[in-house]
Amino acid sequence: MSAWFDFAIEHLPYVLLGVPTTLGLWVSAMTIGAMLGLVLAWARIYGNRPIYVIATIYVEIFRGTPMLVQMFFIYLGLPEIGIVFDPLTAAVIAIGLNTAAYQAEYLRGAVRSVPMGQMTAARALGMGKFQGFVNIILPQALRRVIPQWSNEAILELKYTSIAYAIGVTEITARAEKIGYETFQFFEVFLLIAAIYVVMTSIVAQLLLLLEKKVSVPGL
Amino acid sequence: MLLRVENIHKSYGAAEILKGVSFDMAPGQSKVIMGPSGTGKSTLLRCINHLTPPDKGRIFVDGEELTAKNLNTMRQKVAFVFQDFNLFTHLRTVENVAIGPRKLRGFGKKAALDLAYKELERVGLSDRADAYPAELSGGQQQRASIARALAMEPKLILFDEPTSALDPELTGEVVSVMNKLASEGMTMLVVSHEIGFARKAADEIIFMEGGKIIEQGPPSQIFNAPQQDRTRAFLNVIEHGDDA
Ligand SMILES: Nc1ncnc2c1ncn2[C@@H]1O[C@H](COP(=O)(O)OP(=O)(O)OP(=O)(O)O)[C@@H](O)[C@H]1O
Ligand SMILES: [Mg+2]
Repeated sequence: MSAWFDFAIEHLPYVLLGVPTTLGLWVSAMTIGAMLGLVLAWARIYGNRPIYVIATIYVEIFRGTPMLVQMFFIYLGLPEIGIVFDPLTAAVIAIGLNTAAYQAEYLRGAVRSVPMGQMTAARALGMGKFQGFVNIILPQALRRVIPQWSNEAILELKYTSIAYAIGVTEITARAEKIGYETFQFFEVFLLIAAIYVVMTSIVAQLLLLLEKKVSVPGL
Repeated sequence: MLLRVENIHKSYGAAEILKGVSFDMAPGQSKVIMGPSGTGKSTLLRCINHLTPPDKGRIFVDGEELTAKNLNTMRQKVAFVFQDFNLFTHLRTVENVAIGPRKLRGFGKKAALDLAYKELERVGLSDRADAYPAELSGGQQQRASIARALAMEPKLILFDEPTSALDPELTGEVVSVMNKLASEGMTMLVVSHEIGFARKAADEIIFMEGGKIIEQGPPSQIFNAPQQDRTRAFLNVIEHGDDA
């Protein structure tokens, strides 16, 4: 055990240098996912037929294919038609587009769980459909979606590790490098497992705080 | 006329629910619509502000026809009070009342809240301003939703069975608020079987059956000397139902 501590302390700084990359990748991807997910959810609930169909196809494609394949497609496939991204950008786009599909579905479920009467009352006051959505439905749906959204956020935090496959030097990539230099794979992956646990636990606690802070009786 | 309802028809599929309903309301009048369940009373109210667009017929408020285009501005003149309140769950009572003026009438935040407190006072709810809807009793929720309607300073308020979701001991507080509004000159169209309100505050009772108005007149006439057998039979049931 103490040998592991010595190993961990020696290599921690190098691995920790990957944390900003991991977190940056995660925050950017989750942000893209939240914004696009909101649009997709809106399209799937209130969109006319063509808009609904497009959004549905999007969701099915991104939920129906592995994220790694999506990332390879963006990083390795798109250059063939002249669209080139650096590895980090490609990873942000891939994870962002993927999580958007899931976030859209969670949000859609949350929106549909808001009783119909809420929109009826908003419309009866004189709000348009969009005004009612923004002022009345969305604030309630967002509160309801926090638990699922937290799961998704934590899942994606771990999924940022796939970016190592296209050469982003986030923490998993750094761990692998140390592994091949020292051949102490057991120790190094134990170390980054610990780092992931710390990060996900902090995120989970923060989201739980948020959930408590915005909670409203009866919602 | 403040409200002109002209030959309203509405069908759901093959079922014709409203078969040509017409009536007028002068400013300051209160009318109560009664009739058996499934007769189209709620559908009629919802047609009046196009929550359910009628298939045929026209609605005029203050001389202006309600159309798909002016819907949102016209609805600000015609408030709606629901049977199950439909207060906005995520907003405190005072915010429920303030949101209309704030988002729809161009009020600043402070002005909207001031107005909201004033309207809450009118319905006797000042002390519950900071509570969320889930923390209010049914009667309080309904009074809050009346305050929300009042904050739009509407020309007309439509009430769809405002007390029927309430325990009997809570209907009184809502009815007394409605009585007060009627005496202050608010124009009110109320679907309700509350005999107390109908006798005291209504200028006219409209009796509906099978998607049509079959009798209308002042409460004294409808309650004491109904012309139609159907009306008489129905009133017998609700008056004795009330006593039971
Ligand atoms: N959205 C709808 N789709 C199909 N049918 C409907 C719809 N809304 C109402 N109806 C039908 O229209 C008829 C009239 O309903 P409505 O709610 O207007 O009656 P009501 O007079 O208000 O009855 P109650 O006293 O029970 O409230 C009923 O038979 C009802 O089933
Ligand atoms: Mg009804």
